[in-house]
Amino acid sequence: MVANNSVIIDLKKICKRYGYGDAAIFALRDFDLQVKQGEFIMIMGPSGCGKTTLLNVIGLLDKSSDGTYTLAGHPVERISARKKAKFRSKKIGIIFQDFNLIPTMNILDNVALPLVYAGFTKVRREKQADEVLSRFHLQPKEYYMPAQLSGGQKQRVAIARSLVSDPEIILADEPTGNLDSRSAHIVMEELKAIHEEGNTIIMVTHNPSLTTYATRVINMLDGQIDTDIKTVADKDLPEPVSIHFGKKKEKE
Amino acid sequence: MALLFRTHYNLARESISKNRTRSFLTCLGIAIGVASIILILSLMGSIRNLVDGQVKAAGSDLIVVRPSSIKNTVESVVEQLTSSGQYRNSNLSLKDVSSIAALPEVAAAAPIVQINATLTANRVNDNGENYTSTVESAPVVATSADFAKVQNLVLSSGSFLEKHYNDNIAVVGRSLSLSLFGTTEPVAKTFSLFGEKFIVVGALPEADDPINFNNIDFDNSVFVNAEFLVKKGENIQVQQINVKAKNTDKMDELAGKIREEVIANKAGDTNFSVLYGDDISHPANGLFMIVSGMLTLVAGISLVVGGIGIMNIMLVSVAERTHEIGIRKSVGATSGNILLQFLFESFILSGLGGLFGLVLGYTLAFFISIVTPFAPYIDLSILGMTLATSFTIGLVFGIYPALKAAKKNPIESLRHSR
Repeated sequence: MVANNSVIIDLKKICKRYGYGDAAIFALRDFDLQVKQGEFIMIMGPSGCGKTTLLNVIGLLDKSSDGTYTLAGHPVERISARKKAKFRSKKIGIIFQDFNLIPTMNILDNVALPLVYAGFTKVRREKQADEVLSRFHLQPKEYYMPAQLSGGQKQRVAIARSLVSDPEIILADEPTGNLDSRSAHIVMEELKAIHEEGNTIIMVTHNPSLTTYATRVINMLDGQIDTDIKTVADKDLPEPVSIHFGKKKEKE
Repeated sequence: MALLFRTHYNLARESISKNRTRSFLTCLGIAIGVASIILILSLMGSIRNLVDGQVKAAGSDLIVVRPSSIKNTVESVVEQLTSSGQYRNSNLSLKDVSSIAALPEVAAAAPIVQINATLTANRVNDNGENYTSTVESAPVVATSADFAKVQNLVLSSGSFLEKHYNDNIAVVGRSLSLSLFGTTEPVAKTFSLFGEKFIVVGALPEADDPINFNNIDFDNSVFVNAEFLVKKGENIQVQQINVKAKNTDKMDELAGKIREEVIANKAGDTNFSVLYGDDISHPANGLFMIVSGMLTLVAGISLVVGGIGIMNIMLVSVAERTHEIGIRKSVGATSGNILLQFLFESFILSGLGGLFGLVLGYTLAFFISIVTPFAPYIDLSILGMTLATSFTIGLVFGIYPALKAAKKNPIESLRHSR
């Protein structure tokens, strides 16, 4: 463990407004957050407090109405839509509560999907997807369709898909929300292992018992941070993978 | 880029093969449009070839004089088609025929005057009773013995209007002979025309060219001497003069001489045409060009309808796959990637429809050629143009659904129920 963790996500005065004038609703209001490499952040809070919106803004799926967002030193406001898509395919892995697998594609193709847009050949895509699936013990089910898998297996496939392009940041929106406790435990153990490899994970959850996996727990209320508790000191965070957005990444 | 194109192609192919019935029906819309166009253009090309072939068969020594000047424009053909009784206003006369025939370079010159008249003949039925057989509005072609020489006509029996002790002689076509006399051997039989009795001196074999540059229905016509109509006091207006040259070396020179002769006869009136070579078939070809243009336009409408079918099915596909679009965008697809994916799909649908239509069109043309004299006419430019049109249809009608898919918000798409 080394204390070499720099800020990878820097949100300053972020606002996300829906509607205009008197009808305006703020999902995020003057939201400030700094995320260091190697952190495992658990975001909690009541429904409608802006957790998913925050994740969408961080994942470049949504734009903030106000404020500045700097991702690995790049001001997001200046990044083109094309570049944002490239970041999503190579640098950010997103895990959803309802898995979001394409039902008409088999497991291997679903996992390899981000590599399609990263410009990999079919052979390389399948090889890399096969490798990541074997890590999750899902290799025998590569040619199954999503409907043939259990909820836990689907979520593990979704995690495999988020990891296939070897991203530095993993965003998980209630990944255990639709799973039974046993499957949830397996999924959390997988995420813990990924975190220990040096990846940064930001996860939204309603389940307080899962906070034991986190290095930092943020409670949100009405689009703002209510409480922000670090359970692990910065110096004890895992050695991070090096972040070179736009350049080839190497393990330090 | 090439890799991404290949990926989009594969994605589109997969998507099409997953919805086989729907894709087939969509392709069918385009295929029917393309098949109609191919069929029409093939038939028209075949007819054009047929007429050109007849002119060539008639010989390179053929010169045709037609009333009114003919320009190689669509407008002139339309004018010819729309001016009623164009031949009745012909400024050519039998005098022109005789002055052309007098030229030393001319081997033969024959006028063509077409009118319709009622023919009657006395026949005996199976019971030995006499009755009158009548053919209403039979085409009567008034010409001269030279017509056979110019046309290289071969008769099934008898001779063609050769000078005879009797001026009232006729040659009949095969179908007319059957309906008037009940036989294909009409020589020496008699019939009445304009109250005068005619004797049949020759019979034509079955014609295999229902469409020809003379505009004569050989099977159903009766040929008589043009002098007969003069004798009857009819106002003779020659619709065409067919001229056979003695040699083919100086056709342009001869055409010039014929032109001078006719102008001299008409005191400077130049409103007529002297044609030879490919120009002879031009009016017929011009007519077919217009007809084929009109029919192609109608078939083109069905192609547009097929295009609307593609747009409709692509819009359905985009609506059905909104969630998938959200997933793809969340894992790194750009709007351009999504646009290309859907555009490829409509492109492949229309391309497949085009190919299918091409095969269907030529198959139909082949079957039609079995029962008609029109052999399928395959032209690379038609093939290329039709395929290009179907691909363009795919592009034009696929762009709106593809843009709609590309513009979808990833978050809203992910929320879209599957």
